[in-house]
Amino acid sequence: MKRFVLACLLASSCQGVVQAATLNLQAAADDGIWQALQKAAVAARALSYQGIFVCQSGQQSKSVQITHFFNGQGEYARNIVLDGTPREVFSQNNDLVIFSPKNKKIVVEKRRGQNMFPAILPTNLDAIKENYTLRPAEPERVAGRMTQVLVLEPKDTLRYSYRFWIDNEYGLLLKSVMFNSRNEAMESIGFSELALLTKVDLDWFKPKIDSNKSYVIEEDAAITIAENATNIEWSIKDLPTGYRKIDQMRRVVHGKPLPVTHLIFSDGLATVSLFIEPIAKNVKPKIIHSMVGNTSFYTNTADGYQVTAVGEVPEATVAQIAHAVSFKKP
Amino acid sequence: MNEQLSALIDNEIALADAAHLLAAAQSNKHLADAWGHYHLIGDAMRGTPAFSADFQQNLMQKIELEATVLSPNAQSNRTEAPAAVRTKLPPSWSIAASMAAVMIVGWVAVQQQPMIDAGMKVAALQPIATQPVTEQTTVASLKESIPTEYLMAHQASAPSLSSYYIQTVNYAE
Repeated sequence: MKRFVLACLLASSCQGVVQAATLNLQAAADDGIWQALQKAAVAARALSYQGIFVCQSGQQSKSVQITHFFNGQGEYARNIVLDGTPREVFSQNNDLVIFSPKNKKIVVEKRRGQNMFPAILPTNLDAIKENYTLRPAEPERVAGRMTQVLVLEPKDTLRYSYRFWIDNEYGLLLKSVMFNSRNEAMESIGFSELALLTKVDLDWFKPKIDSNKSYVIEEDAAITIAENATNIEWSIKDLPTGYRKIDQMRRVVHGKPLPVTHLIFSDGLATVSLFIEPIAKNVKPKIIHSMVGNTSFYTNTADGYQVTAVGEVPEATVAQIAHAVSFKKP
Repeated sequence: MNEQLSALIDNEIALADAAHLLAAAQSNKHLADAWGHYHLIGDAMRGTPAFSADFQQNLMQKIELEATVLSPNAQSNRTEAPAAVRTKLPPSWSIAASMAAVMIVGWVAVQQQPMIDAGMKVAALQPIATQPVTEQTTVASLKESIPTEYLMAHQASAPSLSSYYIQTVNYAE
């Protein structure tokens, strides 16, 4: 129901835009394309559809069949990876379960879902508006459908740019490509076929169970830290422009004797993880900086702590986020 | 002989005691292939794709960025391939790739000793932190340069769009 209310709100603010257009055509055009993006964010969650999309990252490419159903109260989605290992991803609202076969077992992973294609945009675009500009490009055809093309460009060099293809009729995001500063495509994900769902049953919303395999549940061992919890050893200062802390937790990291503090920062689209952990005081200071595929990595050991930042952002951004941690001298 | 090669790869035999193995591997094609296969299997199990053209250059860059490890024990934490995997060598491995692996690994083995000596001298003269951070290119073959445990933790709580469908890391068993 909330979605419908939101859709109504959107419709009424669209009328507002029409009135404003007589006063300021440029601002209205800007508002219009941002509305299209807002509509795409809502449509991905509030429509029921089925299709096949192709996801490409680095040299890897996978076809995925998606079935998404919204009944007015909740969202149900099933994603089946069609190439290679037959992974299945199920989501119900924000809860997400991944079934991935591994040797003779099937690993069941639980996660909090937030940005699964085509619902990659947040419904609140304020943070994105602060950090990116949006401009229209020539219309193109994707998955047999006409689309409006929008280019989202960063206002600085701390994030990547995106190109979105939005269905003229459904308002749904059909394709998204992320580009680096050299305008090279880094990650691409887009429908090759799509149809709206007409049936309303949920018979498809169950994993394909293989009785010959054992199922192992892998719980994410993270404990959320309260927002107002104060830390006496370190503080975060001078974050790169536009990045805000959206989550903080303590988690057990494989191979580490003590739980590690894990903070998550986002600019509305890109996210960076920051890990802070105490280490032996006599460890030599060292910096490791690298980039693999789309992921930048920066680790810095000093003052008895190791600070590590990981994210699908330019290398300068992870370095700045790692340096935003300052330690209080005892 | 194959078992000895495998043990060498798993750091069960000291490099200094293995000169005859490396010499034998250079002259015997079967041993050379096996050497390449063992490395490929190990890499596959750790989720590292086959070596790319600029692997060697990147490896040397990475070695330069690493602090010198003076403790001999710290080097022996490699993932051990199960014996069953070692004995079953798929015939489809690319000969070119395995030969490349033999050449690179052999070259690294030859270079390692002087490098460690040089590294110790450098470490004595200047703190590692003052070394400039070099800009590295986007290369998949350096996948292990991002520790898997951080990548997994990042993707568990802040997944990228493709990470739901494309696994970039091998899970710990």
